[in-house]
Parts: sequence; structure tokens; C-alpha cells
Amino acid sequence: MNAVAFLLGLLVLAYLGSILVGGRTIRGFGLASGAEYLVLGFVLGPQVLSVVNRSLVETFQPVILVGVSWLGLVLGVSYLRVGERRVPVPHIALGVAMSALVSACVSAVVFFGASYFSPLPRIEVIAFAATAGMACSETTRHSVRWVVERYGAKGPLADLAADTARASALFAALALSVVNGWLPGAALPGISVFERVLVSIGLGVVLGFTAALLLGREFRRDESWGILLGTSLLGTGAAARLNLSPFSATFAMGLTLAIVSRHRVDIKAMITPTEKPVLLPVVLLAGASVNVKLPIPLLVLVAAALVAKIFARVLCGSLLSVTAKAVRGVGLEFGGSMLSSGALGLAVALALSVRHPGVVADTVLLLAAVGVLLGEWLGPAALRRALARAGEIKPDVPPEGAQPTLPSEA
Amino acid sequence: MSGHGGPKKTIATRAIQAVSLLVTFGVLYGVTRVTPELESHLGTVAAVGFLLLAGTLMSELLETIGLPHLSGYLLAGIIGGPHVLHLVDHHTVTELSPVNTLALSLIALAGGAELRLETLRSVARGLAWATLIQSTFVLVCMAGVFFAIAGFVPFTQGMNSKALVGVALLWGVLAVSRSPSACMGILSQTRAKGPVATFSLAFIMLSDVVVVILLATMLMLARPLITSSGGISIEDFTVLGHELLGSIAVGVTLGLGLAIYLRLVGRQLLLVLLAIGFGLSDTFSYIHVDSLLAFLAAGFVVTNLSDQGPKLLHSIEQTGSVVFVVFFATAGAHLDIPLLRKLWPVAVALCGSRALFTVVAGRISSRLAEDPAVLKRWGWSSLVSQAGLALGLSVVIAKAFPGFGEGFRSLAIAAVALNEMVGPILFKFALDRAGETDRHAPEVRPSLPPAAAAE
Repeated sequence: MNAVAFLLGLLVLAYLGSILVGGRTIRGFGLASGAEYLVLGFVLGPQVLSVVNRSLVETFQPVILVGVSWLGLVLGVSYLRVGERRVPVPHIALGVAMSALVSACVSAVVFFGASYFSPLPRIEVIAFAATAGMACSETTRHSVRWVVERYGAKGPLADLAADTARASALFAALALSVVNGWLPGAALPGISVFERVLVSIGLGVVLGFTAALLLGREFRRDESWGILLGTSLLGTGAAARLNLSPFSATFAMGLTLAIVSRHRVDIKAMITPTEKPVLLPVVLLAGASVNVKLPIPLLVLVAAALVAKIFARVLCGSLLSVTAKAVRGVGLEFGGSMLSSGALGLAVALALSVRHPGVVADTVLLLAAVGVLLGEWLGPAALRRALARAGEIKPDVPPEGAQPTLPSEA
Repeated sequence: MSGHGGPKKTIATRAIQAVSLLVTFGVLYGVTRVTPELESHLGTVAAVGFLLLAGTLMSELLETIGLPHLSGYLLAGIIGGPHVLHLVDHHTVTELSPVNTLALSLIALAGGAELRLETLRSVARGLAWATLIQSTFVLVCMAGVFFAIAGFVPFTQGMNSKALVGVALLWGVLAVSRSPSACMGILSQTRAKGPVATFSLAFIMLSDVVVVILLATMLMLARPLITSSGGISIEDFTVLGHELLGSIAVGVTLGLGLAIYLRLVGRQLLLVLLAIGFGLSDTFSYIHVDSLLAFLAAGFVVTNLSDQGPKLLHSIEQTGSVVFVVFFATAGAHLDIPLLRKLWPVAVALCGSRALFTVVAGRISSRLAEDPAVLKRWGWSSLVSQAGLALGLSVVIAKAFPGFGEGFRSLAIAAVALNEMVGPILFKFALDRAGETDRHAPEVRPSLPPAAAAE
């Protein structure tokens, strides 16, 4: 397939994605995490049909880079609010802590497994463990939203699920900036890892402030697109050139905008609908990049990492059932519901594969992809069960959940 | 491109814009100094962001001294480009060529969609005279000027006078090419309405077709003059005829398809325009269809055979607000400043005389067509700009005559650079003076109610 035809295919996919953005449609069609596009990419990719070969995927690396960074901006801008409701700080702290715990469990398993059972050099083992942990740390907010809207759920558990899912992005953004600053090949050899983290976050903050100032008092939609696109692309390109994390930079930019801009509501309303159209092509490219022909020890490590992820999530749920009132009695199910992962996990893996292509990046991408499929299978069902047991789903609501308005945005 | 006018911006706003511009330059300057050599897509992503942001800010700041936004985009590109600060390198400028393809297709679509049949009828007489006089008078006069100063042109040294006549005729064709992109850029910014705007748009879009025919004719005539072995061949016209008719046929079909889509679906026009701009431009080139003409015909059909023209124009304006900035800023980065420095005396002479003959031709054609006074006075103003079309013609000529082609192309680049910088300023000045620019505020939307921001 030539590049133009493939680009047109991606645009068609983006077109489909933009149709799926509609609130009502999301309840009727598609999977919560967009896993079907991941599978489609895999089937079209070099591992199965070879319609999309490896060099073509590499040609479209800028699409991946920009898509992942745009996801960072969207997550940053929408980080502090779920619909009209502000996310409480304890919920943010809880979401970040759960992500950190899951990430630590997965990283530990991968680190020890890779140290003993794989021939990888130590530096690659550390990179492998760190990125594997990050790729497993996310809970996709789309999955929670999908269940909440489909079944018309309303209550403290639905809110907690939505808030912690959203909060998980902060951990990934910070961890990614640390790992990128630590990986060899950074363009700022004279400064420490901590300073590199500050540079990537600082770049985003400076550009976020610049964008907020430029958006000024009055909101002009056409001009705002130019400013937001310009600052985010400049941040993405600059961070990428310095071998820092573009995702972290744009996340910081989005978060800065959400905090300091008086047009935060307008900006969120403007850019949130672009998330699916941008991400579906990226998910498809991620699917096409998945390589399953890995050495057996690495495949075993992927399985072990997934088991560790499930264990860590269930552990989080169990701990919460003791400490949080909303989760009481449904800890297991709640923990299981947090298994859903999506574009952010894939983005972490793709970021690594763009910067350091190789067997480690392939393994992390495979882990993220299988994690998406596993999460799709277990997560929404577990959340539905948890919400039903908590009495937050009305028994007479049909599964299509055709409510005229959304009860709460997840 | 943002609209003209609007609420007056305060000194504080301008100061913020100036500081933001410095931050933009500073960020990329710092990054390029840390990682100086990088020929990859990473540079391209940063460059697009930089050109978009710096172009927008520079245009806002130049607005305070009455310059068009387009000049701001160009200046941002020149300063950030490979010849001044080297924030955007040659490789990146080449990598950005798909943006040019997209921008040109949008410009042609919008140009066609702006051409209403009734408007064309109202300026038909003036258009016919202007096309005839501008295409013949300017061509002949410019060929004469080129012949007269050929002694100062490096690549014509040693040519006999027969060959010089041939080269001069080719320069004449180059001189009668205009810039649809500059015209649309200024009209889009100023939202100008009136005789000068209507005439300029119609003339420049029509001149695209005329120049293509003239080039084929002059190539046919010049070949035996320049290369003693060559003869006149009518085969060029057969090919040209097929290309023109094919382009119109394809454009009409595309226009009908677009009109149906706009009527029946009418959603996600950004993605549809991207698909058309990227996908169809390449397809057209593959099947030897002139994409500018095809898109022009498509826009014309949408406006005149359906009621979907305003919807199409609105979508193009929204998409173009980002694409055009990058397009013109890239054009600025592409300007070969060292070459201009080398060839500037000849280039200034050629550009000055071209502008003079354009004004004279404009006055003659306006008098013959009995145009309204404002058109007699300012009708020529949009015809000074030159950009991508002229450069495209120079590439065709360079390929046709490899012996002197590169020298010819270099001089063309230098001349186009001058016209590209001066032309838009003249056009905007004329539109302001003719009272055709919209000084009403563009739509400023208050903040959305919180509910609207829910995902």
C-alpha cells in the first residue's frame, strides 16, 4: 500500500472516530477502549496480512508523535474537571497512588524476571521494567464513561471511578518524563535527570502560559486553533528534538491552561471532540506496530506482567474497600474495573518505540496491546457489577442507556 | 487567517504578543542550538508549530503598521528560515511540501467557490479586456525589457540574439503569471467586498488558465529560436487540450460530489477537505490533470449549481486559518535570500518594469472596458504578487531548456521573492483605499456555559 492511500485510510478512520465522539453514539457502538482498531491495525500489519508494512508504519511516525502529544494536551486540559464537577484533590491523590502501586508491582516483576530469564543488558532491563510499569498504570476514562453512560449510573462509586481513572494520567506523564530524561541519548548531557524532567515540564508550562496569555480576554475560535496547535506542535517538536518526553510537555501545557486560562471551559469544549479522530489512527498504527514474534522468555514476561497488573489492581480495590466508604463491599469488582486501559498505555509504549526501537520497545508495546484487550474483556463488566452492587445502576434501565442527558461525565 | 478589523487591541495585548513571539523564537533557537543537525520528522513537527505561532504573532504585530497578515507570515518564515536564524532548515522546508499541496487545493477550491456566475457576468467586459491587454501587452513589453538588459543577466552571456528573443519570450510568460494564493490570502484576511476584490479574484483565477496556454505557446515558439535543431510542434497543444478539458471534467465531477456530500451529510468537513487536498492532488498529478484548475472548477460548481457554496467557503476558511499561515510562512522560509542579494539589481529592474507595465495595461484595459473609477484606479493592484505558480512555470522552463534553465530559475526565484513581498502590501493598501475592506468586528464568542463543555 502506498503512503497516500494509507493516509486516506487513516483519514477515513479519523472520520469514523469523529462520528463516534457523539454522546449517544458512544453508548451504542464500538468498544470502550477502541480495542477493535488495535486489532484491525494488527490484522492489517506486517504480522498478519502485511497490507501495512513496517516501513510504512515508520513513515507515519510523525502521526504517532503528534497523536500521542495531542492526547497529552487533551488529558491535561480536562484533568481537573469531570463535566461540570471539579475532581477532588483526594481523588487525584488516590488515582496517582493506585497508578504508582500498579506500576511498581509490574516493574518489579518485569525487572526480576528480565534480570534472571532474559539476555538483555542491565540498562535495557531497567528501561523495560520502568516502561512496562508505566504502560500498565493507566485506567482509561473512556471505559468508565462508557459504562456509566450506557447504564445511567450515578453515585459516589461512579464518581470515584471516573476521578481515579482521570487522575491516573498524571503518574504516566511524570514517570514518562523521568524515564525519558534517564534514557541514554538525551540531548542535554550536561544536566541531571531531575533537571531534564524540569526542562520537559517547564517547556510545557511556559508554552501553556504563552497560550493562555495569547488567548487573552476574548475567545476567538479560529485564532484559538492556531495558538493551541502552534504551541502544542512547538512543544512536541522541541521536546522530541531534545529526546525528552513530548507527552509530558503537552500534558503540562494542558494542565497549565486548565489552571490559568479563563477560557478553560471553551478550550476543553474545543479540543475534547478531537481526541477520538486523532487517536484512532494512532491506535491503528500501534496495532500495526505490534510484534508477536518475540523470544519465549519475553512472552512469558508479558504474561507475568499482566498477572502482576491484575494482582495490583485487585489489591488496590481490596485496600479501598476497607478505607473508602463508596467502595465498601465491592472492592474486588472495583479493582477489576480499573484494569481497563487504552490509548495512554499504548502511547507510553509507542513513545519508547519511537525513541528506542528494538526488542524491549516491541515487548512493552505487546504488553500494552494485550493489556488493552484484557482490560476490555474484564474492566467494563467488573465496573458494571460494582455499580449494580453499590445500587448506582437502576435495575429498570435498559443496557442501551438512551438517556437524553448525561448524568455525569466520566 | 484571522479576520480583519475586530476590537482594537490594546498596548498590553501587543506587548504580550511581542513577548510571546520572543518566547517562540527563543524556544526553537535554544533547541536548535542544542541539537543543531537533525534531518528527521522531529524537526518538521517543531517547525510547523513554530511557523504557525510565529507567523500568527508576526502578522498581528505588523498589523499595527498597516501591513497585511500575509507579510507577517512571510517575514516569520524568512527570519526563522535557513538563511537567517536557521531555526527551520532546508530539509524541513522540503518536508513541508504536503502543506503547500493542501493549501493550494484549498485556495483553488475557495477561489472557484467565490466566483458566482452573476458576479462574473457583471465584470465580464472588463475581464475580457484585462485578460487580453495584460496577457499581450505585459508579455511583449517584459520580453523587450529582458532583451534590453540581457547584457546584465549572467546566464544569457554568449547567446545570440535569436536565442535571446526566445528566452525573453519565456520571461514574458513568467511575468504575466499572478498569485492566486496571495490574492485569496489578502481577501480572506480583509473580507473585502467590492469591484476591486471581485475583479481581482475573477481575473487571477482566469489568468491561471491563460498562463498555462501561453506557456505552451511560447515553449513551442521559443524552442526553434533557442535550439537551432528544434521545430514547431503542435503536439504540445494536443496534450494541453486534453489536460485542460480533463481538468475541467474532473473538477465538475468533484464539485457535484462535494455538493451532494454537503447537502446530504454536511459534517466533518475538515477531514473531507484534508482527504481531498492530500489524496486528490496526488491522484490528479498522476493522471496529468491540472489540480489548480480542477479544484477551481469544483468550487465553481458547488457555488453555482447548488446552494452549498457558503458552507464550503466557511469550512475552507476554518481549515485555512491554520493551513495558510504555515503555507505562507514556509514560502518565506523558502525565499533564497543569498541569491536575491546576488541578483537584486537585475531582479529589481525586472520587477519594477513589470509593475509599471501592469499598471499601464490596467489603465488601458479599464478605459477600453469603461470600468468604474475605482477599478480604473486600483484594478492592477492585485496583479503584482507572484508566488508558487510563477515558480512552477520556471521549473517547467528549466526542465525544457537544461542549457540555461537553472540560471533562468534562479533569476525567477529572485524576482518572485520581491513580488511576493511587495505585491500583497500593494493589494491590501489598494483595498483599504478603495474602501472595500471589512472593518466590522469578527465574531467574538463569549465563554461557553459550563454544560457545553461536558464531553
